[in-house]
Amino acid sequence: MTPRLPLVLALAVALAGCSPVQPAGDNTGTTTGSANQDVFGEPADPGQVKAGGTLTVALSADPDKLDPTLSRSLYSRYVFHTMCEKLYDLGPDAKVVPQLATALPTIAPDGLSLTIPLRQGVKFADGGAFDSAAVKTTLERGLTLAGSARKSELGPITAVETPNPNTVVIKLSKPFAPLTAALADRAGMVLSPAAVAKLGANFSTAPACVGPFKFAKRVAQNSIKVVKDPQYYDAAKVHLDAIEYRIITDSSIRSANLKAGDAQVADSLSSQDAPALQKDSTVSVLQSQSLGYQGVTINIANADGVGNPLKQLDTPIAKDPRVRQAFDLSIDRAALVKSIFNGLNTVACSPISPKSEFTSEAAQACPAHDPGKAKELLTAAGVSTPYKVSMITSNNPDSLRLAQALQAMVKDGGFELVIKPIEYASLLDQQDRGDFEILQLGWSGRVDPDANIFNFVGSTGSQNVAGYSSPEVDKLLTDARQSTDKAQRIKLYGDVVTKLQQDEPLIYLYRQRNLTGVSKKLLGVQTYPDGVIRTAFAGFAK
Amino acid sequence: MSRYLFHRLWQSAVTLILATIVVFAGVRALPGDPALALAGEDRDPESLRAIREQYGLDDSWPVQFWQFVSHAARGDLGQSIRTGEPVNGMIAGALPVTIELSVLALLVAGVIGIGAGVLAAVQRGRPAEWAANALALLGLSVPNFWLGLMAILYLSVALGLFPASGFVPFFTNPVANLHHLVLPALILGTGLAAVIMRQTRSSMLDALSADYIRTAEAKGLPPRAVIGRHALRNSLIVVVTIVGLQLGALISGAVVTERIFALPGFGKLTVDAVFQRDYPVIQAVVLVTATAYIVINLLVDLLYSVIDPRIRVRGDA
Repeated sequence: MTPRLPLVLALAVALAGCSPVQPAGDNTGTTTGSANQDVFGEPADPGQVKAGGTLTVALSADPDKLDPTLSRSLYSRYVFHTMCEKLYDLGPDAKVVPQLATALPTIAPDGLSLTIPLRQGVKFADGGAFDSAAVKTTLERGLTLAGSARKSELGPITAVETPNPNTVVIKLSKPFAPLTAALADRAGMVLSPAAVAKLGANFSTAPACVGPFKFAKRVAQNSIKVVKDPQYYDAAKVHLDAIEYRIITDSSIRSANLKAGDAQVADSLSSQDAPALQKDSTVSVLQSQSLGYQGVTINIANADGVGNPLKQLDTPIAKDPRVRQAFDLSIDRAALVKSIFNGLNTVACSPISPKSEFTSEAAQACPAHDPGKAKELLTAAGVSTPYKVSMITSNNPDSLRLAQALQAMVKDGGFELVIKPIEYASLLDQQDRGDFEILQLGWSGRVDPDANIFNFVGSTGSQNVAGYSSPEVDKLLTDARQSTDKAQRIKLYGDVVTKLQQDEPLIYLYRQRNLTGVSKKLLGVQTYPDGVIRTAFAGFAK
Repeated sequence: MSRYLFHRLWQSAVTLILATIVVFAGVRALPGDPALALAGEDRDPESLRAIREQYGLDDSWPVQFWQFVSHAARGDLGQSIRTGEPVNGMIAGALPVTIELSVLALLVAGVIGIGAGVLAAVQRGRPAEWAANALALLGLSVPNFWLGLMAILYLSVALGLFPASGFVPFFTNPVANLHHLVLPALILGTGLAAVIMRQTRSSMLDALSADYIRTAEAKGLPPRAVIGRHALRNSLIVVVTIVGLQLGALISGAVVTERIFALPGFGKLTVDAVFQRDYPVIQAVVLVTATAYIVINLLVDLLYSVIDPRIRVRGDA
């Protein structure tokens, strides 16, 4: 018998170069709604749905740890939303609304304390009572647990006080405006203190929170099942018996499962499949514009890796903002969106979505496409054309199409773009090590603008892979973080965008639209700008 | 005999240690960092440090290797970096799925391949042979992935005959289990069926022109008995050998098939772990595979020595 171990290993390693863990730029195609129009779906009319049934959701990627404190994958939020409710949630207008809290937080005039009133009579999936002590346990865990992905989101919390079981008071060392939005995401999911005490860092093996559903089982890298929790405070609104999340990474196969009826919901539809699904009388396509962006990051001073002292790179595009401006002016975003994404995605010139409540005219300003001026800028910068720059990008088909379109566009502006496709995990590695000239990658987006800007272009930002440092931008961002005045924050973020468009450490390209396929047999599935598919209150049509 | 046994055990242990070193080093030679792959979008230097510390990724290679080997020797394959689940449980759950899928695919391949091979040989030069040959060529040329997609589109979506994805454990519901595995087994078995068909056909053609067949026919045996009892039986020896050699290809093919049909098998586990740089899972699946091969090799060799004492004598020398 010939040992085949090398074959298995070689195959596994070779496949690693085939497709990424997460697509960097996708979701193209046309849908039932016209471009620029979101289709969020409607809540189910109780009279039209029947009780019971198991919903199967085809998920494009496997969620990581089912522990809100440790989870880092976008996809875990799809599962959490059914079993781990948050202090706050997001409405279809991207505004924060109470969920386990009963009202928005009362913020002290100095911005140093937030008082949150809590729901009463709520029980965790393991039977324990939900109260301020549970919130305190959860928030403190987020701040202290080793490997917590929530620590930076929670900001400068100094103490969590529980004056009574129905009120929690959060104390801060300095004002931190993004906190409320963070509590509308995983940082605000309240864990059962009993489960935390019992399981510790292994909470993900049997997560227990407050939710319409509770965790049932997980089959490694294949499926996750949640079942209806009869103890849920609003159990009458829950129609389904169970939801199974089935991991199907290939988008065509997700669509086929949807059409075959083996799955009733499929996320992240692709351009190839969306048109066929629209014509299918049994399926509807929901769409919501992302709060994130896709862009091109230029390596300015990330010579030794993120977190290490910045060291200016000795290339024209790193040294001279005029060269970066020229690159920006060479890109015809409108044509890009129209030709590559069938007009579905929308042009982005800043990290602030037009759907955000912090948008402004300045935040949506966009440099006009002008290859002639781009060439002039290159000449003024003393760069001979064509100027050769290499760009690393994810090796999935959508990212490659985008890269090729960019390559063709920037040629007119005097650039010769060399595309270097890399598998996603390797791309992240090269990005953080600073081993690139420019790179194309995106950000999925958060509700508060701070989470979409500070980490990426702030001097001390954890993902400042450009190695950009501007005292002016840092000050504007810090002021915006600490301001509790919305109008002031809007103004400050507008100023940030203006400055970023001069320095161009990150050239924003477009905002993608999340496409979700839903069987017409299922009512009440909704998607919001946070990208999370809301299935908890859905039900099968009578 | 005991000396031979000791010799073979020692050889197996060395092979296993070498395989462990190769796997350990190979996994770390992959570009990318498990902490970064896990952190994804939500990463900051502090949490990356915490992840590396928690999973011992910042320890030196010898320390990491010792941790891996010493735990594995106690039967503890560690914890998945991505999901935090014990790897032992992940493998125990995935292995039966792949074994069942492979056995069913082998069954499919055997029935189709031998049937078509016999038909092609008996009907030599007639349309039936051409059709069988054309099918074999197709089976060999068409990639599993495409075939799987087509099967889903036509047999699941259009006709609704089989589920497009999912898995039900055999002991939960045997009928549903087989219903879910029919398509994957068909797809996985196609390539092997083509190989078996070609081998059966050529062996059958050799056998059918042999003297003993002529003798059988001269004795007045009915064609069915000549083909089935004499020609096919003798041809199958080669076919069985080929099937044995193709088993590895079958398990490799399961990697693709499991991904298409979202089956929670060993292949899917391996590939996903590689994409996510989940070192403990990759190490464990390769270690388990290597151990299985080594143990089977050892058993086969020991069996040989029981059947043929000359091997034992050579081993003693």
